[in-house]
Amino acid sequence: MSRKQTPLRPYFEKMPEIGKQLREGEVRRSQANVELVREQEEIIAQEILRVKNAGIPAEKVHSRGGMTIYDRLEYLVDEGTWSPLHSLYNPTDNEEGCTGVVNGIGKIEGKWAVIIGFDNKVMAGAWIAGQSENILMVTDMAKRLNVPLVWLTNCSGVKLMEQETVYAGRRSSGAPFYRHADLNHLGIPILNGIYGTNPAGGGYQGISPTILLAHDGANIAVGGAGIVGGMNPKGYIDEEAAQALIEGTKNFKGKVPGRVETHFDQTAYFREAHDTEQGVLDGIKDYMRMMPAYDPTVFRVAEPAEPKFSLEDLNLILPANQKRPYDAIQILARLTDNSEFMEYRPDYGREVFTGIAKIDGFPVAFIGNQQGVFPGYPDYANGEYPGVGGKHYREGLIKQGEFVTLCGRDNLPIIWLQDTTGIDVGDLAEEAELLALGQSLVYSIEQTELSMMCVVLRKGTAAAHYIMCGPQANNNNAFTLGTPLTEIYVMHGETAAAASYARRLVKEEAAGNDLAPTLEKMNQMIQDYQDKSRPAYCAKTGFVDEIVSLPELRKYIQAFTGANYQNPKSITPVHQMLLPRIIKG
Amino acid sequence: MPELIAPIAGNVWKILVAVGDKVELDDELVILEALKMETPIYCDDAGTVTEIKVKEGDAVNEDDVLIVID
Repeated sequence: MSRKQTPLRPYFEKMPEIGKQLREGEVRRSQANVELVREQEEIIAQEILRVKNAGIPAEKVHSRGGMTIYDRLEYLVDEGTWSPLHSLYNPTDNEEGCTGVVNGIGKIEGKWAVIIGFDNKVMAGAWIAGQSENILMVTDMAKRLNVPLVWLTNCSGVKLMEQETVYAGRRSSGAPFYRHADLNHLGIPILNGIYGTNPAGGGYQGISPTILLAHDGANIAVGGAGIVGGMNPKGYIDEEAAQALIEGTKNFKGKVPGRVETHFDQTAYFREAHDTEQGVLDGIKDYMRMMPAYDPTVFRVAEPAEPKFSLEDLNLILPANQKRPYDAIQILARLTDNSEFMEYRPDYGREVFTGIAKIDGFPVAFIGNQQGVFPGYPDYANGEYPGVGGKHYREGLIKQGEFVTLCGRDNLPIIWLQDTTGIDVGDLAEEAELLALGQSLVYSIEQTELSMMCVVLRKGTAAAHYIMCGPQANNNNAFTLGTPLTEIYVMHGETAAAASYARRLVKEEAAGNDLAPTLEKMNQMIQDYQDKSRPAYCAKTGFVDEIVSLPELRKYIQAFTGANYQNPKSITPVHQMLLPRIIKG
Repeated sequence: MPELIAPIAGNVWKILVAVGDKVELDDELVILEALKMETPIYCDDAGTVTEIKVKEGDAVNEDDVLIVID
């Protein structure tokens, strides 16, 4: 008789259970909190709708027999797996209301891919400001997760009226072509479905991926047919030059270069040409089935299981009032398989939790801030002040660095749950080496080859936002999520106002002057900090890669985990893992 | 007679009930302010508020009795 089992079963099959059911009274008193969460969700939903409606109406595309980028994605991506990213990204406040590309992570034919396409409703997919940065974030994600990048190209090239915002510079719209070459070099395939007219930059966008599939109406070329005039020796346009331009345009009969009859029939750059838009997407699906991917069984340590508690509870547990503490383990219990968690050194560095959990049966690591007050902690304070949740102290920093290093050894992807107000400050903190230990944690992260994702549950503040694998961890952080309760700033607005104006207040008072003008400036600063730290602002500026409702967090964690284990570059045999043994002792 | 105890030292920021009020398990009765945080104190049994031993603005120590419930 054959017998089969998951590896290291005594450690992973049944881990310690965490969390508890919310009591009736807890649910009752948290209803106002749910309303506050919903308010922010509504703001985000309205913004996303605005972005989706950017450019020409979808009906106009449909009336021409075409599909919008959203139609293409819906047809291409496996149902229920699409996890959009950068939906509101628009750091330079483009008049288009977006950066003209739509992207995220999802499954195609059962395999995870990073997927990006030009919004063909917005200036036929033109290069606009902020777009190249958006694309680079996405190519970096494919590189980090080692999964295919799928492009839906439909790119009219530079928005000529604003060429200075996209054309030149280190991270300009030419940089993605190098990124594509980099991905190819690393063995990460890029599948490209090509639609519409793609001249110049659009042409390189078309040619730079690994496998090219075209719609019959598509073309890719070094330059377009629209350049009918060329250089005017006068250096300006007068009536005579305008007339020549008009005649030239009227009489232009040429076809656009780089059509399917050239690049399928002649050069054979295109592997496939399809007479329908869906045909191109079917072609991508065919190629996705050929992409490298392990069966999940290879890396699973248990059968997948849902958390024991409702994800909707998260809206009740996480307080919208940023000054309120909560039980962080109650959050974790709603994210992990069967609400289980094997905690690493729970009695050391109490302000953070670290440990192993399962997501869809895969082993992963979690690190997060505890909340509340810790009397008698940290030791180095000698009782002068108590420890406060969200802050980092000596033991917690050592524990995180140690845990990250062990995760690197065991190849455990890490999910960070940030809600942090900073690292402890003052002479005692300096003597306790917190400055060096913070950077030591950064070093530990950088030393690993791990993928990590970060969720800023509420506060991402001061250097603590950096050291807990914020998006600044360029080589490890695959993506960062915010929630409807996220606030990201260097310090709270009131603290910043006090730091900026305290001396002036002293001077004004000593001089017998009216304090009102200074107070007005301070309050303006506080308001400004408030306005520029809210979830929609964080998403627009790229502080986070997406704002996600709290119950949706697990879906993104599943996407991150599944993608990470699809085709890992490095493997630790589960039965040789060290961390579970260290935890058990 | 159940007593509601301050879990940490701090200032009484808000008192959300009055003597004679009927309260239920998990109702929020007092909010302490300390270390830039609000610490809500919840009712751990149903009953009637018979005595409030503090007023808003008072400084309290850890383990001080805040409210008595019958």
